[in-house]
Amino acid sequence: MKTVVIEHLARVEGHGGITVELDGDSVAGVRFDVFEGARLLEPLVRGKRFDEVAPTLSRICAICSVAHSLTSLKATENAFGVQVTPQTELLRELLYLGESIESHALHLFFLAAPDYLNYPSAIALAADNPDAVRLGLRLKKLGNSIQEIIGGRAIHPVNAVVGGFGRAPAVDRLIELRHALEEGLKDSDGGIDLMAALPPADFCRCETVYTALRSPGLDSYYAGDEVVVASNGDRTVVRAADYRTLTNEKPMPHSHAKHSTFGGKPFMVGSLARLTVNPQRLAGRMAAAMERLQLRLPAVNPMDNNKAQAVELIGDIARALEITGQFLRDGVRDEPPVTVQPRAASGTGITEAPRGLLIHSYTYDAGGRITAADVITPTALNAASMELHFRRTAEQCPERTDTAIAKRLEMVARAYDPCISCSVHVVHRR
Amino acid sequence: MKPTLLIGLGNPLMGDDGVGCAVAERLAHDPRLPDSAEVICGGSDLLRYAAQMEGRSRVLVLDAIQDGAEPGGIFVFADGQPGLDDHQDHAHHLSAVQAIRLLEAIAPIRCTLVGIAISSAAMADRLSPAVEARMPAIVDRVLEEVERWLV
Repeated sequence: MKTVVIEHLARVEGHGGITVELDGDSVAGVRFDVFEGARLLEPLVRGKRFDEVAPTLSRICAICSVAHSLTSLKATENAFGVQVTPQTELLRELLYLGESIESHALHLFFLAAPDYLNYPSAIALAADNPDAVRLGLRLKKLGNSIQEIIGGRAIHPVNAVVGGFGRAPAVDRLIELRHALEEGLKDSDGGIDLMAALPPADFCRCETVYTALRSPGLDSYYAGDEVVVASNGDRTVVRAADYRTLTNEKPMPHSHAKHSTFGGKPFMVGSLARLTVNPQRLAGRMAAAMERLQLRLPAVNPMDNNKAQAVELIGDIARALEITGQFLRDGVRDEPPVTVQPRAASGTGITEAPRGLLIHSYTYDAGGRITAADVITPTALNAASMELHFRRTAEQCPERTDTAIAKRLEMVARAYDPCISCSVHVVHRR
Repeated sequence: MKPTLLIGLGNPLMGDDGVGCAVAERLAHDPRLPDSAEVICGGSDLLRYAAQMEGRSRVLVLDAIQDGAEPGGIFVFADGQPGLDDHQDHAHHLSAVQAIRLLEAIAPIRCTLVGIAISSAAMADRLSPAVEARMPAIVDRVLEEVERWLV
């Protein structure tokens, strides 16, 4: 018996690690140690007024601040029975697209690409291929610009408020944004070229259950209150309010995150799950990108999550351009937020963060102060699926050295784009 | 565009991890801040500010540093940040050191990293009493650093 240990999983925040126990060529055990900070957030919001919750929880993560903010608003609005206007829904969708564009660009260009090309980091990649890094930065900046113009500032959006939207974007900023998005579409074609040129990474073949928000229209991230679990051709629908039947959590001794399964099976959330659950999105540029990257659904290789992010990146920019054009054509009205009448109630909000399903669920007292909060992040939902894919990766690695197995395990982990704790990032000396 | 940019990094929900942000917020309201300096209170992703960094004569990045030093101590690393770990240990963003090195590699950006020593970072929506008590001295010391780069 020998053990492959990746103690501090590179490029994973917090202190996640992978341990695989090998008995000859077979895998005796797999552990993915997750220290999931998001679950410990309840004390930070307990007692806060309903309008203070989203601004606080948007700070869980700098990359996912829009996701946490908008999911929080959905949970609060569901608790109080608030229906926002169609314009607010469209502004929130555009804001969410900005975050996804930024997050996917960051992950694909600065974290995944160096892996595939055997560079230790994006810094080393920049020395040999500065144009690829500049392309990634331009796309990331595009996502930032959307968040700044629509959300009111670069991170932790101030315009997303309970019941509506703070300030409508100015026409000149929307014109500026339309131009940036047109340029971004060309850049995203370059991104697909880069992804298509990467070496194959067929490390793990495994039938996978995919879980994602069912998109009621073209919106991929914000709208919708039903989740679909897609398993081997079957589709099961779970309503947001019933999210606990979906998470069905089991505490694991080696992990702070509880493992989630559905029907006893681990499931994967994220880009690949979104495309699998919502195939109606796969037209036009997205379909062409899928063909170029040879992405087939349902996928049996978790590394395809990187391809799915690239396909979403191009689709997100096209959709953001469409919405911006609609606002310029039809105008954006200054709408005051819907008046909120607090009451003793519970509400759940579900959205698709860049790395998968995100759940916020709150209970309020009659004065509109929070008495209980539950925040379940995509990485926590993915923990059981990651362990399954680590097991298959270790079993299927043709080269039986620790180094070869460890390299593949790390790349599979990163393909999930995981965020293990939100989000300590201090500097360390050598 | 002001020639000097200060960017405070950190997660204010992770206690002392947010000290860079907290210092930036205080500097933004400090009358002693030179007119030629602009302050951004950032999150934990420095790359987000790449566009704002270009064209400045100097960018000062304020971030927490954890290396056993007494909390509140200031350590300054300029031009290449020798002695700092640029190991890639984040899932979906680059550390301040990585981001600075990446940007310096592809653009004419000159950064100074001002590390503020902390002893731990745990979930809390405020700074620890030890670091909070040192905040006036930290702000004074960072202002000295700003003045130094203005010369």
